[in-house]
Parts: sequence; C-alpha cells; structure tokens
Amino acid sequence: MNEDEFRRLCEFIYRRTGMVFTEAKRYYVERRMADRMLATGSTSFASYFARLRSDVRGEVEQFINAFTVNETYFYREDHQLQCLSADLLPRRILRPRANKTIRIWSVPCSTGEEPYSIAIWLLENWPQADAYEIEILGSDIDTRVLDAARAGLFGRRALMRLSADLIAKYFEQTDAEHWRLIDDLRQSISFSPVNLVEAAETRAHGAFDVIFCRNVLIYFDDASRRTAAENLYENLLPGGFICLGHSESMSRISPLFDVCRYSDAIVYQRPMERADG
Amino acid sequence: MPLVRKSTAAVDAPPADVEELKTALASSRPDERWQAARALIDMPGGIALLGAGLATEADIRVREVIFSGIARTATPEGAALLLQLLRSEDASLRSGALDALAAMPADMLAGRLPELLYDEDPDVRLLACELARGMPSEDATQLMADLLERESEPNVCAATMDVLAEIGGPQALPVLQRSAERFASSPFLAFAIEIAVKRIKTTLDSGR
Repeated sequence: MNEDEFRRLCEFIYRRTGMVFTEAKRYYVERRMADRMLATGSTSFASYFARLRSDVRGEVEQFINAFTVNETYFYREDHQLQCLSADLLPRRILRPRANKTIRIWSVPCSTGEEPYSIAIWLLENWPQADAYEIEILGSDIDTRVLDAARAGLFGRRALMRLSADLIAKYFEQTDAEHWRLIDDLRQSISFSPVNLVEAAETRAHGAFDVIFCRNVLIYFDDASRRTAAENLYENLLPGGFICLGHSESMSRISPLFDVCRYSDAIVYQRPMERADG
Repeated sequence: MPLVRKSTAAVDAPPADVEELKTALASSRPDERWQAARALIDMPGGIALLGAGLATEADIRVREVIFSGIARTATPEGAALLLQLLRSEDASLRSGALDALAAMPADMLAGRLPELLYDEDPDVRLLACELARGMPSEDATQLMADLLERESEPNVCAATMDVLAEIGGPQALPVLQRSAERFASSPFLAFAIEIAVKRIKTTLDSGR
C-alpha cells in the first residue's frame, strides 16, 4: 500500500467509524487490509477499495469488524460494578419513577462479557434487584462479536475473575476449555449493532439509567469523541450515569456531564433537567 | 429473574423543520435548546441562527455544542462567525471560538491569519498567535517572526515567543536575537526569548 492508498483507507475508516489510524498504526491497518483482500479474492488495492466503497456483499461491515478490538473478560474493572450497585442504582431509584424498569446499556459490548457481568453482578450484589425490571442491552459496531455474545460461549481466560461458585451457578461446561451461560441469563440480555457516532442509530436504542462505555472513545479523534459524547448524552435519562474506562475522562471530552466521585469509581452524570432562571 | 427484554421507545429526534428548531432555540429549557442547536448545525441557514443564538446563550452546554458543531462541519460560514467572535467582550465566547477555530483544518484559516495578525486590536493579534500554533512549522515561524519584529505590545510578543518555542524553526533565530536586545529591560520577555532560542536549537540538534 503506498502513501496515498494508506491515507485514503484511513480516511474511509475515519468517516465510517470515527476511529483514527496514523502512520504509527500502519502495520495494524495493512495486516487487516491484507486479510480482507485475501478473503474477497481482491488482487490489488484499487479493486478492493472499489469493492469496499460500493459495499459489495456487505464488505463495509466485514471490514469494520476486522478493525475492532475484542479482548475482554468477566468482571473486568469490577470496582465500577461495585459502584453501580452501591451508588448509582440506589441514586437512580431515589426519585419517583413512572415504571419499575431500569435500563442499562453496555456499549461497546464486544462478545458479551460486560453486559453478562452486569447481570450477574446485580443478581448477586444488589438486594433490590427483585423489586425492579432490569433491562440490559449490549451493543457493538462489530456484528460478528454480537453473534458470539448471543451464543454465550466463553473460554477459560474470559472467566478467570469469576469464582468457582459463580461459574457453577451461571454456566454449563461444554468441554474442557469452554463454558456456556445458562439459557435464562442469555435470553435476558438483548444485543444490537450500533455506531456511536451516528445519532440516528444511538437514538433508536432509547434512554438509559446507566451506560457503560469503556475503552472505546480512546480510539476516536477529538471531533468524533465529542459527537459520541453528545449522542450518549441523548441516550441518558436526566440524572443518568455513564461509566468510562479507567484511562478515559469525560471532562477532557465535553462539559456536558457532571463529574461524580464515589468511593469505588469516578463516573459522569447527565444533570437533572432544569429551566433557566 | 428480574432481568427482562423489552422493546423500548427511541429517544425523540429533534424536529426536522428549521422554523420549529428556531423556536426551540429560544426555549427556556437548556436541553431543548441544546438539541435544537445540535440539529441546526447541519441545516441550511443554521449557522446564522446559531450565531445569533450564541450572543444570548448563557448555558455552557448549549454553547459548547454550537462551537463543536461549527468546528466539525468546518464551513467558511462557520469560520467567519467564529473569527467575528474573537472580538467579543465575553471571554468565554472568545475562548470557545478560539478552541473551535483551532479544531478546524489549518488550511481553512491560513488565508485569514495574516490579516488577523495585523489587526488593530492586540487581543485579536494575541488570539491569532494561538491559531498559528496549529499551522505547519515553516508557515507559523514566518508569521510569528514577522509579527514579533513589528509588535510593541508585550503580551502579544510573549505569545509569539511561546508559539516559536513550541513549533518554531531556525529562521526565527535572527529575529529572536534582535528581540533580545529590544526587550533587554523586560526580564520576563528576555526569559521567554531565551527559552524559545534554546528549544529551537535543541530541536535542530536532535534533528541532525
């Protein structure tokens, strides 16, 4: 790939996803590009790029899937889960609610470890769980991982932070190295595709009490980060919370949210609705 | 099990009609103004309406969404509006405009910078120095060196030195050396010049 081809490809990725790849990531981009050229039988950059731009046989989706990072595990950064049950949800239920539904969004959800972790954590650690209808939704731009999330089959590494008791309670071992989530739990979580920089897509998911949006905004440039933050703001109910990854700070992205410091985590809150004066 | 799957209503999209958005932009509810402002950015005539709205908008979130939207769309009309705001009496409007201009592609501002650097208002010249920081080193160095040579306002001189210290090239060294003599009686400016010269020389040495 020459300089011009690399630049055109990176511009394409940026326009479609908000992800920024610079010369420093050239090897990463070239590897994935080569994989897709091989998979589609394309013999040159020009022929593959034409195929991509025309979205022949859903190539855009396949291409974006190849660029996402999906390494995660259950109970990752569980101090935020502790914060969810100890601070965020108790605050969400303080005010009178029109209904008994609590909505939580895990985006990006990768292969499902995060939304399933939220579900298990709440069943185990939030005493009020039975008094509410808890709706957990997992979304990701990578449609391939959503299929894996729905299947709910995980390897040993993904379960390394879970106790033997929790594994026995919520999983069925399928072979020496794999465990499948029990049907009740798998069927309780919804999964959907979403592009965080497309407002029409994020709005379709409705408004949430809590959003987990961890370790994705770091891949965006400033402008896309702001757009994603604005979209997520719309997806939060007034007073709702958003949790970012440990190295991310919403304060550096947008002034839309208030910072909330709790004993287990720093999270960001959409202010309650108010009128001027 | 308390976990449920439901089909939930989407978040309301903003109105698609400019007149309705104009009305929403004057709402007493900041969230409504925020959503209207966000939608107007991509609409014909939207930038002009937002420019008028900024003059009276007090909510920082609404202001921010207007600035970030103008920066994102990066149109000449948006740039013109922001450049005008550099003269605002309101410091937060000036800094919001400056940040948004800095986020725009450098080539969009390149043609306007020399004019701003000759502006009769020293505050505008000072803010224009910040915009030069986002330009290619060679262009910024030339602009900053020219300005420093003719500038008498100490704060503007300090701003040029700060930019030169960060991205200046060797062609600025003679101007900096002449300025060192000119500002010998000002310890702060003399120090700023010394720093700029050192940084440029260090960059030169490390590039060899």
